[in-house]
Amino acid sequence: MKFFTGRVVKRAILLFSCLLLLLASVCFAKDYDQLFTDANDAMAQGDLPAAIALLKKVEFEKGDESGAFVRSRMQIARLQFALKDMEQASSAAKEVLAVYPDNSEALNFLASVKQEQKPRYKVFIEDCLRFLPQLLKGAVMTITLVVCIILISPIGGLLIALGRISTFKPVSAICWFFIWLFRGTPLLLQLFFIYYGLPSLGITFKPFTAAILGLGLNYSAYLGEIIRGGIQSIEHGQMEAAKAIGMSYWQAMRRVIIPQTYKRLMPPIGNEFIALIKDTALVSTIAMVELMRSADQMFNAYFNVTALILAALIYLLFTTIFTFVFEKIEVRAGIYENR
Amino acid sequence: MKTANQPLLSLKGITKHFGSLTAVNGVDLDVCPGEIVVIIGPSGSGKSTLLRSINFLEEIEEGTIVFEGNEIGYVTSKHGRRHLDVPHKICALRSEIGMVFQHFNLFPHMTVLGNVMEGPLTVQKKSPEQAREIALDMLAKVGLSDKRDVYPATLSGGQKQRVAIARALAMRPKLMLFDEPTSALDPELIGEVFDTIRDLGKEGMTMIIVTHQMGFAKEMADRVIFMEKGAFVAQGTPEDFFANQMEHDRIKSFLNRIL
Repeated sequence: MKFFTGRVVKRAILLFSCLLLLLASVCFAKDYDQLFTDANDAMAQGDLPAAIALLKKVEFEKGDESGAFVRSRMQIARLQFALKDMEQASSAAKEVLAVYPDNSEALNFLASVKQEQKPRYKVFIEDCLRFLPQLLKGAVMTITLVVCIILISPIGGLLIALGRISTFKPVSAICWFFIWLFRGTPLLLQLFFIYYGLPSLGITFKPFTAAILGLGLNYSAYLGEIIRGGIQSIEHGQMEAAKAIGMSYWQAMRRVIIPQTYKRLMPPIGNEFIALIKDTALVSTIAMVELMRSADQMFNAYFNVTALILAALIYLLFTTIFTFVFEKIEVRAGIYENR
Repeated sequence: MKTANQPLLSLKGITKHFGSLTAVNGVDLDVCPGEIVVIIGPSGSGKSTLLRSINFLEEIEEGTIVFEGNEIGYVTSKHGRRHLDVPHKICALRSEIGMVFQHFNLFPHMTVLGNVMEGPLTVQKKSPEQAREIALDMLAKVGLSDKRDVYPATLSGGQKQRVAIARALAMRPKLMLFDEPTSALDPELIGEVFDTIRDLGKEGMTMIIVTHQMGFAKEMADRVIFMEKGAFVAQGTPEDFFANQMEHDRIKSFLNRIL
């Protein structure tokens, strides 16, 4: 009986101590949770040093890597980083590495601290060199699109303009409808319709063809209205004088009326083409890899805003060159007005 | 009248409405080769419309235009509707009739020489060398050879109008129409344009001139016509017109206002 009692007591003591241990560990963990919560509160109130002091209370003990210690030290590292104290930030990360030399979070953190300690311009230049090759590839595609549309849309626009002012009603009605449709709906929708919508009707385009088609139709519609305005702004007497020397309507258009619209049309058409440079970014939505898409890819891969800044600079470069070129062309087109 | 066999141009019953307004009301006019007809009258009397009808810049509703013995410009469709002849025929007719406008209407994007060459080059399909030769001749005729390489914007009003005359002449027209050729000019520039027209008259060019310059009408015209409310009110030789027709009340009041 005594033996039996002794065994029971032993077992009870063992069980109790186990329970105690469990309870203690739970209590311990509970403590840390409370600590992290307090630290979070301190952070939320903007008191970063207080948060750091709290987090420092977490001590190392054997456990897995995502445990409280690693969590606390990386948090301290980030807070110190935010406080611009790179020494302290590094040492916090190094504490983690001291126990877990392969911890990727700490390694990455140290790398970015190193990056941070470099002069800003050096970092920027490095990023530029990293992103430029891809971005330039995209820029080449953007320019290809722009050049194609600049070649196509004035021809389309002229045809639509001539159709609109035609006295033959069906032609002018068709051109009116075309302009109404393409000016009245978003370019993005038109691109989607051509690339994603038409396949359901059995018509499939490659991204490039779809992009050229969408941009070409849209810009032809816009230029059509601009060119029509230009033609109709030429004084009526010019057409009469041309007819009076025996010219046909088309001869008068080609030789007398249309050449006089060039100077007047340069500013609005230049505007359109600058808008075009930026509108090409929309074709990134139909699987075209151009400047915007390249920048987006770089930005998502590295979460680095430099990619977007660079893309913006390239767009600005293009639009600046265009503005300059169109001003020159405008002056040349109007050379006969100089006294 | 200088000659009086077959008329070069014969208008019969020309009528043109603008909406409810009758601009030209059944006008008859014969113009003999070499004749200079001057039409005067208050503004809105249909002078310009009549002139523009001859060149098909206005489509008339009634009447016939006979040029060199042929009725021209209008055909009647199967349904009995009357309309302008096919465009290329109209163009061919226009190229035989020169027209000079009140506001010159020079082509501003072409040089003076380019303006004068344009007709022979584009309409008559002459070679650039031939067209250039003709244009230089015409510019010499109006005394503007030295201005051949400048753009119209640099010319005075009088010079512009002389270039416009050269441009019309380059087509070798058989008839010249002048629609108030000096009305847009400063008074001191009117003389040079009339000198040019006078030279043309001396060469035997047939001309119909709408003008407000009575002095010119007196001096140059073979016949002066007074037009009002779309119809000819009176006509005659300048001597006869200014001596006798002056008795006509409406003409008298018009001339008093002008002079």
